[in-house]
Order: sequence, then C-alpha cells, then structure tokens
Amino acid sequence: MGLKWYTARRVAWAGVAAFVILTVTFVLLDYAPDPELARIQFRAAATGADAETAAEAYAERRGLTGPLWERYLEYLGNLATGDWGWSDTRSQPVLTAILTALPYSLMYTVPAVALSTVLGIAIGLYSAFNQYTTTDYAATFVAFFGVSIPNFWFGIVLLLLFAVQLGWVPVLFDAELARTRPLSLANARQLVLPVFVLGTSAIASTMRYARAEALEYVRAAFVKAARAKGASEWRILTRHVLRPTLVPLSTILVGDLLGIILSASYLVEVVFGIPGLGRLSLEAIRRQDTALVLGTTLVPVLVAVLGNLLQDLAYALLDPRIDYGDR
Amino acid sequence: MIGAEDSPGTGTDDSQPADGGEPPSERFEDVDWASIDADGGGRSPLRLAALVAAGSYGLAVASDRLVAGGDPTIDVAFGGVAFVWDATAVDWLFVATLSVLVFALVPLARNRRLVAYYWRRFRRHRPAVLSLAYLLVIFLLGTVGTLFLDPPALDVAAAYQPPVFLSVDASIPTECVGPVVEGRCQGTWRYPLGTTADGKGLLALAIFGMRVSMQVGLIATLISITIATAVGATAAYAGGWIDEALMRYVDIQQTFPTFFLFLFLAYLYGGSLFVLIVIFGVTGWGGIARIVRSEALQRSEETYVAAARSAGASGPFVVWRHVVPNVSNSIVTAATLNIPVLILSEAALSFIGLGNVTLPSWGQTIAAGRGDLATAWWVSTVPGLFLFATILAFNFLGDALRDALDPRQEVGR
Repeated sequence: MGLKWYTARRVAWAGVAAFVILTVTFVLLDYAPDPELARIQFRAAATGADAETAAEAYAERRGLTGPLWERYLEYLGNLATGDWGWSDTRSQPVLTAILTALPYSLMYTVPAVALSTVLGIAIGLYSAFNQYTTTDYAATFVAFFGVSIPNFWFGIVLLLLFAVQLGWVPVLFDAELARTRPLSLANARQLVLPVFVLGTSAIASTMRYARAEALEYVRAAFVKAARAKGASEWRILTRHVLRPTLVPLSTILVGDLLGIILSASYLVEVVFGIPGLGRLSLEAIRRQDTALVLGTTLVPVLVAVLGNLLQDLAYALLDPRIDYGDR
Repeated sequence: MIGAEDSPGTGTDDSQPADGGEPPSERFEDVDWASIDADGGGRSPLRLAALVAAGSYGLAVASDRLVAGGDPTIDVAFGGVAFVWDATAVDWLFVATLSVLVFALVPLARNRRLVAYYWRRFRRHRPAVLSLAYLLVIFLLGTVGTLFLDPPALDVAAAYQPPVFLSVDASIPTECVGPVVEGRCQGTWRYPLGTTADGKGLLALAIFGMRVSMQVGLIATLISITIATAVGATAAYAGGWIDEALMRYVDIQQTFPTFFLFLFLAYLYGGSLFVLIVIFGVTGWGGIARIVRSEALQRSEETYVAAARSAGASGPFVVWRHVVPNVSNSIVTAATLNIPVLILSEAALSFIGLGNVTLPSWGQTIAAGRGDLATAWWVSTVPGLFLFATILAFNFLGDALRDALDPRQEVGR
C-alpha cells in the first residue's frame, strides 16, 4: 500500500470518526433529561397552566418537533455550516462566544506547549545520556511529580504562595489588560503561573517519551561508530541521537500533548480566572446552557480528531519504515 | 506418577493394592484424565466459596433493596458503640469489587514461591514499597475507618480553626476552640488539620474523601478491566472483521478526549457518585483493551495455545484458560495506572461542581476552600495534599509493578 492510498484512507477514517462522534453526541443529547424543559413544565404547573402545552410550545420554539432523523439531519447540517446554535445565557451565537474566548486560551497554552516541548526533549535526552545518575533520577522524579500533581490544586497552591503571600503576581486575571495589551510585561506577569502549571503537566510526558526513545539509540551501533570516529559528544547528541528520536516523538507529541493541554487548560482557567474556552464551558455547565456546553465540548473533540489524523500522517511522512497496514 | 519408572522386571500386579480399589495408572495411557478434569473443575473449594459469596451477596443486596427499603442496612450496638450503616448502591458495588479482588488474590497467595519472586523484584523500588504502605493505610482508613467514624458535621461555631501547632489571627475563626495567645488563635487536637468554613473537621473530611476516591478508583477500574479484557481478548483471538469492528470502536472512543467525555456525560446525566463511576467504568477502557489485544495477539501465537486447540479446546475456553491468565500481568499494571487517572478525574469534576455536592470528596473540599485562600489557606491545601500523595503513590506502584510483573518490558528501561 502506498503513501497516497494510506493518506486517503486515513483522512476518510477521520471523517468517519468525526461523523460517528457527532451522531453519538446527538443521541446522547436527545435522550438526556432537559433541565430547561423541566423548569418550563414546573413553572406552567405552578401557575395553573397545562404543563403539556407549555412543553409543546417549548419544543416548537427549540425546533425539537418532527421525526428523529429529520432533526438529526438538521443538526448535522447546522454543525457543518457553522451554525452551532444560540447561547441563551450569553445572548450570542455559540460560535461567536467560542471565538471570543479562544485568544485567551491560546495566550498561555502556546507558550506552555513551546516551553514544555523544548525543555522536555532537552531533559529527556540529557537523562538518556546520563542514565541512572542522580540527575536522571531527579528528572524521573520531576516527571512523576508533573504527572501526579492535580493541576487545579497546584495552581491554587502557587496562587497562595506567589500572589497572596509574596504578592509577585496578581491574584485576579485582568482580561481587559490581556485584550488591549497582550504583549505587555504586565500581561506576561499574570500569565507566568498558568504557563508554569500547564507546562509541568505537559513536560512530564514529553520528558519520559524523549528519554525512552533516545535510550534506544544511545547504545546503537551507529552511535558507537560515530564515537569511534572521534565525533564530539555534542555532535553525536544533535546529529545521531536527536534526529531519529524526533520522528516518533513528534507524533507522540501531537496526540498526547493535545489531550493533556485540552483537559488541563480547562481547570487552569477555572483556577486563574482566565476567560478562555474552559471558563466559557464551565459557565455554560453551571447555567445549563446546553447549546454552549455542546459547542465547547465539540471544539476539543474535533481538535483531537484532527490531531490524531496529523499524527498518523506525520508518522507516515517522517518514517518510511512504517507498515501502512498496521494501525 | 513421578516414582513409577518402567522397570521391565517388576509386574504391575505387585503394586496393586490388595483390596483392589484403584487400578494402577502408571502409564500415560492409563491415566483417567476425565476424572482428573472433573476434580480440577467444578467442585474446588475456591469455586465453592466464590459461589457462596456471590449467592450471599445477591441475597444481601436483595434484602437491602426489598426488605430494608429506606432503613439502615445494619443497625447494631455493642458496648455502647452504635454501628449504623445504610448501604448505598455505590457501597454495594464497592463490596462486590472488594470480593472480586479477594478472590483474584487467593490463587496468587497460594503460590508462595511466585509471591516471593514478585516481592523480591518489587522490593527493589523503595518509593513503590512506601507507596504501597501509604495506599494500604488510606484504603483501610477509607473502608474500615469510615464505618466507625461520624461523618463530618456542620458546626458554624467551629469554623476556620487552624491546624494543630499553627495559629492564625483570632479575628478569622468565628470562635477559637483552642487557646488565644497574643491575639492569635491556636490549633487544637480536636481538629488536628483545622476546619472548613462550615466548621467541618478537615481530618474527618479527608478520611471520608479517601472512601470516595477508593470507590471511584477501584469500582470503575474493575468495570473497565472486565470490559477491556473481554473486548481485547476477543478481538485478538477472533481476528477478522470482529477484531476490525471492535478496535475501530475503541479508536473512536479513544479519540474523544477522556476528560471531555466524562464532563459531557456528567453534565447530561447528572453527577451522582454512582453515575460518575458507571461513566468512568463504561467509557474509560479503550487504552487497556488495546494493551490486552496486543499482548493477547502475541500469546495466541504460543505453542501452548496451539496445543490446547489441537487437543480440541473450544475458542472461548482457550481464551479464558490460556490467553487471559497469561496477559494478566499487563492487565494488573494497566489497571494500577488507570486508578490515579480516575481519582484525578473525579476530583476535577467535583472541583468544578459537577459531582454530588453533599459528598465529602477531596475535589469538593478543595473547591470549597478556594474563596478563603487569603485567610484560611489550609482548607484547600490539606485535601489537595492527600489527593496528590494518593495519585503519586498509585503511579509509583504501577511503575514498579510493570517492572516486577513484566520481564518482557525490561528492554530500554
């Protein structure tokens, strides 16, 4: 099987996966109890009106009448054309709400990903070259620490220490400042802690993968040959170990980092009060704005589908040894 | 038939008992395999015990649901100590999980040599041994301890007491339980870890949180590994379109980021502990199923599987008797590493308020203390420390188990 055929199949599969996920979401939504409907029925019953009529009027307004498959097609069509519904609590289209929140999320996730990737690979390589030394054990411990510490709690502890006790950074995130002067020093100061918290959880897995991958090459024959030839350690590191390590790593990074960043950022935003996607979603959950909950859930899901696709394609492009038949 | 070497001089008649009870079975062909199989299957004491346990468990659940109704399940008093336990659905699931764990451990405990071998390999990891001890304490406090402790109660007068040996400005607690020295309220042994804004003792809250965490971690993981083993082993053994369909399904389930799947389902179907556990258990098994499948694929190539098959064993029998026991090492490791993920997810969902608000979960307590960081820092910090330590311990344990149980994975480590 060639690369083209593999790519075509992989893209088609991503489409199928997205389609199945959307279908499942639709079914879940359809069968879930609707808090808004219950409220309306309760209100109608309390005022002496007929609960059934009120429920029907509500369904009519929401477009919930008609056979299941018709609503299903409409749901798919709306999602595809960018009509993700109307947020009742924010009185704006869901997509607008998401696009407004997105820059705030990117503001700290992008630096966190960049930092954790560079540092993670560097530390991982160093660990592999100095296996079973004190530094290696220290790095391993840091990795366990990063995987194990609950993000939201870590954020709280850091806020307590650096904002409440020491006063080095502001306690509350200033969204106005972030919007008007995103590149100012003041904005950087309030983003330091979120970047750090997100970075610690992301760096752990990068570090472990980089170490494990590099270890496969540290004792490889071609590295020994390079050393025998008199190549410097630095050259061995960058030319002979880093390059083959980067191939599997780059693909692991996409899929794995994505999952960590997506879920970690949710809680980090809640703790630090950053008005990004996570906060938007949480507000929607608290106020039972189902359209917005759906929208904010679908964004990470679609990003994940795309990420998985890119990961597989990157692997096929970077590593010619891949067996296309394998999953 | 170890001692019965064939010596041509002696006749078999000599060794036959005088009363003629059992025929000699010295040659391979003479062994009555059917009777040996019958002894080994069906009536082993372990199986009998498992049946009795399952039966009495069923009866107990039925009596609790049908007879006791809203009354407490157990209400006895001995020596002035009242013992009241109204078992919830989660409690019953937990009891079932623990019984399964016990019955899974019995065959291992019987094999002293194997246990000693694993223990020697495991002991090399000092952090893991410490973690195991810590987790046992947490587990016992959470399961047995909570049966005898009173749940933390609302006591507004005792709000914001500092932990013992520490002190805060006397204006912060409503009423200082301990002594006030130089305008600072001292912590007391009555509330060793301080109290929350509701005056609930943090130590008691932490201990009851242990039960919630253990219930979530253990029950949901058991559900997960049951499904994962069934799916993974079936896919590996059946192959063909069954394998394709099952693993494609796992692909899709894995694509949905776990946290958002939990979040979305908890939002739609409510966040009671029971629902949460079911959501975790029923949707979180994809990764384990993949591990089981790939391991089972390798095991299916082994000669003993071919031997069993050529001896006429059916497919399900081979999977159950030969493939699953041989991948159990990987299952145990994957399960151990699955538990901290679930505990963290539960804490995270409770933290953002999707869980049961009345439940003394660690995440709930951390969230409750967030507003008081400037005045009562201990409310959020204490349960978080327990959460962190528990997750760290499970990760250490899982890593050491992988080393100890799985010699195949030693390369590169």
